Amino acid sequence: MGVIKGVLKEELKNSLQMKKDYERELKKLPQGSLVKKTIKGHEYYYLVQRVKGKVKFTYKGKLSEEEVRKYKEAKEYRAKYRKLLSQVKRQIVFLRSALRGKKPI
Amino acid sequence: MRRLDKAGILRDLIVIGSWCIPFYESYFSGVKYSLSIRTRDIDFLIPRPSSFRAKIDLEQLLKDLGFILGFKGEQGVMKLEHPDLIIEFLVPKSGRGRERPVPLPELRFNAQALRFLSFLTSDTIAVSIDDVTVTLPHPVNFALHKLIVFQRRQKGDKAMKDRDTAIRILKALIDKGESARIKAVFQSVPRGWQQKIMTGLDLAEEPKIAKILEY
Repeated sequence: MGVIKGVLKEELKNSLQMKKDYERELKKLPQGSLVKKTIKGHEYYYLVQRVKGKVKFTYKGKLSEEEVRKYKEAKEYRAKYRKLLSQVKRQIVFLRSALRGKKPI
Repeated sequence: MRRLDKAGILRDLIVIGSWCIPFYESYFSGVKYSLSIRTRDIDFLIPRPSSFRAKIDLEQLLKDLGFILGFKGEQGVMKLEHPDLIIEFLVPKSGRGRERPVPLPELRFNAQALRFLSFLTSDTIAVSIDDVTVTLPHPVNFALHKLIVFQRRQKGDKAMKDRDTAIRILKALIDKGESARIKAVFQSVPRGWQQKIMTGLDLAEEPKIAKILEY
């Protein structure tokens, strides 16, 4: 029983650290996503962000392919990391309840 | 694993730690061999860090799979984290060794140096896992190594886990008719290590296995 409990404790420690690390990675990604608008045949970009609950459009103008790719990639990683973070959070809940056993909360 | 294999890294690595136990299943086919609980962290041992053949940014290689860089301990040993798997690298510690992580410039990563790991590199086996060839320490070396290191563990439950694993594998090896090999490997290690192995068997209360090594 001691071995199983030890493994569960170690996994909980790992998951708690992983939660912090995924949150850190999410913060590092550029905020918002790009919206392309075509005005008189020219393409312009706006950065859409949620600021204090309100959607804010920031004019970015013409962007290089590299910058567009950077925002696109950030959007993909944000979705991926959020999904994995929620998986880690579920693991934490499971491990905590498994370690608590029948003891009161 | 497949990604590491494709990048040409896996051939220079030896899987060690608790992930060896399920990977040994094919080696022990035909004898009683049970699997044990294991953690998510998979340890890769680099026998010769200076002669690493592939050059790759490891973090970038696994980034699109959702792996992120994490750090362990005060010294900042690097690891790659994913909810399903944690990847860490180890190198054998020689002489007085260093406490700081060992840089692996070819992988843009670092590794933790630990004692007694050279014992795991001295004899290896290759197993095929879903068409990927993985190198593992020979189970004899793996079990005897566990018998040495469990006595150095600070956490009691980890020590118990290592000790139980060692005994389980030694018993499976004896069932497989490899007693002579266990004895030969035991006799090939320094006297100090032999004493540690015998102490380990004594603590595990396994006089029958100890007897095989003595005679």
